[in-house]
Amino acid sequence: MIIEQCKIIRNDEVAGGIWEMEFSAPEIVSYYTGPGQFLEILLENKWSFTVRRPMSIANVEEKRITIIYKIFGRGTKILSESKIGGILDLLGPLGNVFSGWKEKYVPILVGGGVGLAPILNLFKECQKYKIHSNLILGARTGREHFIDHDPSNGIFLTTDDGTLGTSGTVIPTLENVFSVVDNPMVYACGPLPMLKAVQDFVIQNKIPAQLSVESYMGCGTGLCQGCVIKKRNIKAKAHSYHERYSLVCMDGPVYSADEVCFD
Amino acid sequence: MTDFRIQIGNIEFKNPIFTASGTFGYGNDVPDFVDVSKLGGIVTKSITLHPREGNPPPRIVETPSGMINSIGLANVGVDHYMREMVPSYSTIGTKIIMNIAGSTLDEYIEIIRKVESISSDIAGYEINISCPNVKKGGMEFGVDRSLTAELTRTLRTLTDRLLIVKLSPNVTDIAAIAVAAEESGANAVSAINTVVGMSINPMSWKSNIYTVFGGLSGPATKPIGLAAVQKIFHSVKIPIIGIGGITNSLDVIEYFLAGASAVQLGTVNYQDPSAGEKMIDELETYCKDVSIDSISSLVGKVKN
Ligand SMILES: Cc1cc2nc3c(=O)[nH]c(=O)nc-3n(C[C@H](O)[C@H](O)[C@H](O)COP(=O)(O)OP(=O)(O)OC[C@H]3O[C@@H](n4cnc5c(N)ncnc54)[C@H](O)[C@@H]3O)c2cc1C
Ligand SMILES: Cc1cc2nc3c(=O)[nH]c(=O)nc-3n(C[C@H](O)[C@H](O)[C@H](O)COP(=O)(O)O)c2cc1C
Repeated sequence: MIIEQCKIIRNDEVAGGIWEMEFSAPEIVSYYTGPGQFLEILLENKWSFTVRRPMSIANVEEKRITIIYKIFGRGTKILSESKIGGILDLLGPLGNVFSGWKEKYVPILVGGGVGLAPILNLFKECQKYKIHSNLILGARTGREHFIDHDPSNGIFLTTDDGTLGTSGTVIPTLENVFSVVDNPMVYACGPLPMLKAVQDFVIQNKIPAQLSVESYMGCGTGLCQGCVIKKRNIKAKAHSYHERYSLVCMDGPVYSADEVCFD
Repeated sequence: MTDFRIQIGNIEFKNPIFTASGTFGYGNDVPDFVDVSKLGGIVTKSITLHPREGNPPPRIVETPSGMINSIGLANVGVDHYMREMVPSYSTIGTKIIMNIAGSTLDEYIEIIRKVESISSDIAGYEINISCPNVKKGGMEFGVDRSLTAELTRTLRTLTDRLLIVKLSPNVTDIAAIAVAAEESGANAVSAINTVVGMSINPMSWKSNIYTVFGGLSGPATKPIGLAAVQKIFHSVKIPIIGIGGITNSLDVIEYFLAGASAVQLGTVNYQDPSAGEKMIDELETYCKDVSIDSISSLVGKVKN
């Protein structure tokens, strides 16, 4: 991990409220280990934005990194107004990676909303390694999607309002895909209700799965101990450390689905 | 060349820039790109007698020019700390100050006894007195003169190492608590710990922090820290370590002028854990530009 001042190459709205930004980050790329890892962005006027904004790496191409972000609040709004040629202060790469997808499993990738980035990254990585995967992307409405519904090539889109792809959440599509795939491993990232639903589904059906989770982050380096998530099925002890809670920035953001608890 | 060395008790530090407790881990677990040997000192996370998980999330939230935290003293506990962390200090290249926290007087005593029973490269202790004392009905040690005095006096008998008492700003008279610490044998006081604060989500009507209240830190608190240091400076003779909202070398100068002999950096480490190194370089430039021979000559020189 390193802090690097990175030049912005591209910053476009690719779908309704969803932006893609590419920048040059040779040093960060030299430490990059794979899909799942993220960056922490320090915004200009830094004491108006005390904490860095975490963003997953959506693609790495030579010495360039792409992120995909959704305008959520003040910081992501400012990010969308960044000009090409401008400089961003980035800390990264941080966190762990999705694993197992190069092995015997057939990956089923599930993403939605702000969780698109690491899932698309893994999808492209699978293509690079000629591994056949299935991609299921959910959104509230059609204009939030920016790739094509293409079931014959294993790309399934869903929308809550039925304006594109299959109507409804990602779960019915996940069930359908699961029923025809041998030896699946599910990889998911997205809004909390989606992650919870995927977790319920994979646990009920005993499917191995990895979830990339979010939590409010302070530093990304383990120093502040802020970004914890509750662990699942813990045996309560009188005194313990990091047994009940896990630090998302250091031990995550990717967890096995049976490790974490979203309540 | 400006002389940046400073003296607290019988210990000399190579410069007055330390990192603050809870913002720099245990000193040996910071990112690789940080050169900790450039720092004057490192104050560890608060260490307790037993390991602690800390509070449920959400533990932190950004606020204007700062943040609120309620980590709940998550830490590995003193035994693990001594076994796994302390040995690395022999080669760390800077002075380590162990911050300790307890919920009874006995817990503080037991921690210091354990550490004193082995030989180690710990330069001293910073006593976090912003902890609720369970035996005194949850009243914080740090809001009460006599509790502060009793704690400091007792710990003084257990160690010859540096004893620094870290003061809370959430009191009516911080200087009076500082005097109690000085009279009871503290080598220095550090001020300030975080300021009680709150942040609410207007959509969900919930507090943004699980424990409702948390501790405010960052530049928003710098004026509070400066005023505290100045008040304490007029009341005690022991060195004061200034803390609160420091983000650049000019902030350090302000703290010195208010009466600090050293400073600690907290929240700024979250934006950049190498902020301390950079600040030392900036400080050298400042001192050269205004022809200061010794950083210590600035202490308390604010003009009124
Ligand atoms: C590991 C990780 C990877 C992420 N990857 C992506 C991604 O690829 N694309 C994407 O669009 N979003 C991603 N996010 C979420 C993104 O960080 C937040 O949407 C962003 O920080 C919001 O900033 P803001 O200033 O616009 O929002 P604010 O106005 O500050 O707040 C709006 C909401 O955003 C969330 N938020 C704010 N600050 C943080 C923070 N420091 N950490 C986490 N959440 C925060 C909170 O829910 C908050 O209520 C990721 C989060 C994590 C933890
Ligand atoms: C996330 C966080 C955790 C902290 N943990 C501790 C702690 O364990 N013990 C302690 O004495 N102070 C702790 N502090 C307080 C800092 O050491 C420091 O006093 C305070 O943050 C003010 O300095 P700053 O404005 O530079 O951050 C913590 C502060 C933060 C932000």
